[in-house]
This record gives sequence, structure tokens and C-alpha cells, in this order.
Amino acid sequence: MSDFHNRSQVSARRSDYVWQYEYYEDEEPVSFEGLKAHRYSIVIGFWVGLAVFVIFMFFVLTLLTKTGAPHQENPDSGEKRHRPEGCLVDINGHQDDNDKAFSRPLLEGSRSYFNFYISEEDQAHEKQKPEDKMSSAKDKAERLQRSAEIDEMDEDVEESGGQHQPLSGLIEKSKSDRDRECAFLSHFSIPNFVNLDPGSTLGEDDLLYEPSVILERQSQAHNGHCDTH
Amino acid sequence: PNTSTAFRLSCPEVKVPFPVFFTVGIVSLAENLLVVVAVMRSRNLHSPMYCFMCSLAAFNTIASVTKTWENLMIVLADAGHLERRGPPETDLDDVMDSLLCMSFVGSISSFLAIAVDRYITIFHALRYHNIMTMQRTAAILGLIWTLCAVLAVLMVKFFNFKFIMICFIVFFVVSLAAICFLYVYMFMMARIHAKNIAALPGGGRDKSQHQRRWGSNMRGALTLTILFGAFVVCWAPFFVHLVIITVCPMNPYCECYRSLFELHVVLMMSHALIDPAIYAFRMAELRHTFRKMLFCSDWKFCL
Repeated sequence: MSDFHNRSQVSARRSDYVWQYEYYEDEEPVSFEGLKAHRYSIVIGFWVGLAVFVIFMFFVLTLLTKTGAPHQENPDSGEKRHRPEGCLVDINGHQDDNDKAFSRPLLEGSRSYFNFYISEEDQAHEKQKPEDKMSSAKDKAERLQRSAEIDEMDEDVEESGGQHQPLSGLIEKSKSDRDRECAFLSHFSIPNFVNLDPGSTLGEDDLLYEPSVILERQSQAHNGHCDTH
Repeated sequence: PNTSTAFRLSCPEVKVPFPVFFTVGIVSLAENLLVVVAVMRSRNLHSPMYCFMCSLAAFNTIASVTKTWENLMIVLADAGHLERRGPPETDLDDVMDSLLCMSFVGSISSFLAIAVDRYITIFHALRYHNIMTMQRTAAILGLIWTLCAVLAVLMVKFFNFKFIMICFIVFFVVSLAAICFLYVYMFMMARIHAKNIAALPGGGRDKSQHQRRWGSNMRGALTLTILFGAFVVCWAPFFVHLVIITVCPMNPYCECYRSLFELHVVLMMSHALIDPAIYAFRMAELRHTFRKMLFCSDWKFCL
């Protein structure tokens, strides 16, 4: 017991938060008689509160996953995807093309976000010089790869890790600048612009996985267009 | 003596055996040191996100080293090899407390920096490279480390002032709220995007994709819960301890809470243990670098 008090005095002198029995030597001891509730009631209350908070947070998050707009089918969106100039739409920043491409009724839910996204892209392109097109494409590729890594917060490493390969392989294989842009942009045509927003830190592999289904369908269409250039 | 009747019903202090402290300290030291070395040595991990994780791992390393060293000193003092009240020991105690405070404030700041970086990555994706340059990252990290060092010295020198303790607690609560807000906002936007992608033609039509999306939603919610849950469960008990010694030092209920102090310290140390698992080891690039570092036989060609 004396060892304990010695230790408490040494450390309590410098840092009072280490051992508290120091107080009870100087003042009268705490009386434990007449306690109405259980003596560990604060401890129990604290941990129960903490557990409730964590479980509540989990349920709120899962509830957030269940709410949302119903799915709609938009028939004319398919035509927009197969435009011949689809490869160069984003890079050249044709305002009206982007507006037509991005503003569709089924995206009302987050329309403001996507409009913000369009204006960002326009700002980004205003700063670009034509000779920087290639470096910007490379930058975007790097950023996508990096952000795809953020998506690997999830356990499904193989699935999302596999997404690196199509993108990098696609970019490395292309020879000319234009081919490279086309190959890169085939991942960033209309449904894939959501990939520019790197999804989430939460590893929602659907954000990588579902577009990849669309990617593969389109890459053939776009590669066909790009090859003819 | 006459205090024995009062102590009979009291809450005995819960002691955590030294091997537990040592194991937790050494394992967390090894993990965090691995992260720091991997980020520093590998060129392609020199990006803002990995720099912030490296900083977090460095703070955790400092905390582990300090705590393990303190336990070693206590063991030696118990065995009689060290003088408890000598000036070198008390000075060393001061230094260790400063380092612990510094690592605590630093790891919370690193969490905040990581959350802000992720936020910018998602919501300002196109301008990310302009917003978060390596120079700015270095400036932010320098600011964090300087601030932590200054705060640590101040806190230990002036710990008796309640104002410092209140600042500490307020800092913790504000950081927690900010991190919570950032991540929940990112999570909500991710949900909206997922729905929009699913709403596009060709996506989300068949049942398997619905189920897959639901599965990944659950995983996202679970990831966030683990991130927050670990932070709150590991840090909150110690903070409530600080609040209690400010507010009710003489209350018997509060004293029973305080008797669990060593358990709360072990919880804090175990946060340094699970941090790499939550943040760093989930990045495939970092895992890949680890594998090269640990299992590569020829060091010259590995990194």
C-alpha cells in the first residue's frame, strides 16, 4: 500500500490525473456509506450510453442506405452515349454538349450536385492549355487510381483492385495522344463521369463495379469511334 | 487504521498486469513503425493522403514508445532499481507526459486532416491537385506537429489550471463532431451517387446487382461505424475521466469510475494498435508496399 501511495504522490505531483488516491490522503476519505445506487453506476451508465450511441449510429447509417429516389429508365440517354464526338466532349468542354449530356430527368435528385460538377469541370478546362491536354489526362488517370485506392477501404480488395487494371492497361496500351485520350475518356463518358467523383471512401464497390459493366459495353462503342479517327 | 471501514466498501483500483501493457505497446509500435517506414521509403506513396496517414502512425508510434517506456520505468521502480522522487525521474515523467499529450492531440488532428483530405478528394475532385499540393500538405503537417508540441508543453506545465483541461475536452468534442459530420456527409453523397448509377439504363436492373449494392451499403455503414466506434470507445473513457476529476473529485460514484483508470489507459493504447488496421492497412497500395518490404529477399531491387 505504501508503494502505491508513493507512486501516486510522485506522479500526482506532476500530473494529477494519473492516480487519484493522492487526494484522499490530504482530505477526509470519501465515505461509501449510504449510497443509494450501485457504486459502479456511473461506469455502467457510461458504457451503456456508449453502446447505444454506436448502435444508433450504425442503424442511422443503414437507414440512410435504404432511402432514396426510385429508379427510372431514361430511353434517350442511350443515344447520347454513342455520339461520335463522345471522346472529345469532356476535354474540349463544349458547354451545350455537357449540359445536354448531364441534365437528364432521372438525375433530379442530385441535380444541383451535378451542375456544380459541370461548372467545376468547365473551370478546370478554362485553365487548361491545349498542350496540357495530355498531362491533364494523365493527372486525371492518376487521381482516379488514387481515388480508387480510397475506395479500397472496403474488404473487397480483389474486386476494386481489379478496377485498376482496365484503366491503367487501357491507358498504357494506347499509342497516340488522341488514342490515349479516347481510351481514357471511354471511362469518363456520360455515365462514367461519376467515376471522376471518386466514389466514396467507404469502398462502395458498386460505384466501381456497376459502372464497369457500363464501361465494358461502351468501351467497345467508343473504341470503335476512336479507331476511326 | 480508522480509514479501513471507509475503504471496505470502496471501489478497489483495477490493476492491469504489466505484460498486457507491454504487449499492446510493442505490437502497436511495430505496426505504426512499419507504416511510417513504408510511406517514407516508397516513392509512389508520397501523396497527401499517405502523408497524413504516416503522420498519424508517427504519433501513434510516439504514444506507444512513451507508454511502454513509462511502464518499464514503473517496473524498475517497483523492483527498487530506480529512485522514485529523484529529479531525473520526475523530469523524465514530465517529458513522457508531454509526449503523451502531444501524441494524443496529434492523432486527433491527423484524423481531422485525413477526413478533410477525403472530403476534398470527393467533392472537389477536379481541383484536388490544386487544392492539396505537396507543399500545402507539408505546411499542414508542420503546423500540426508544432501546435502539438506547444500544446503538450503548455498542458503539462499548467495542468493545474482547469482552463487547460476544459480546452482539451472541448478540442476533443469539436474534432469528433467535425469528423462525424464530414464522414456522414460523404457517406450520404456516396449513397446518392450509387442510386444514380443504378438508375442509369444498363445498371441496377437485375436482382443480383440490387443485392450486391445492398451488401456494399451495409459494408459502408459497417466501415463507418467501425471507424467512429473505435475512436469513441477508445478515447471517450479517458476523456470522461478528465471531466470527472475536474467536476466531482470527491463523489464516491466518480471515485468508482476513476478506479478503472488503468483499463482506460489500455483502451487508449489499443487505439494506437487498431489504427493501422482501420486506416493504413485498408489501402491496397500500402499493403503491396508492405509485402515488398517484408517478403522481398533482395532489398536493392525491392523498393
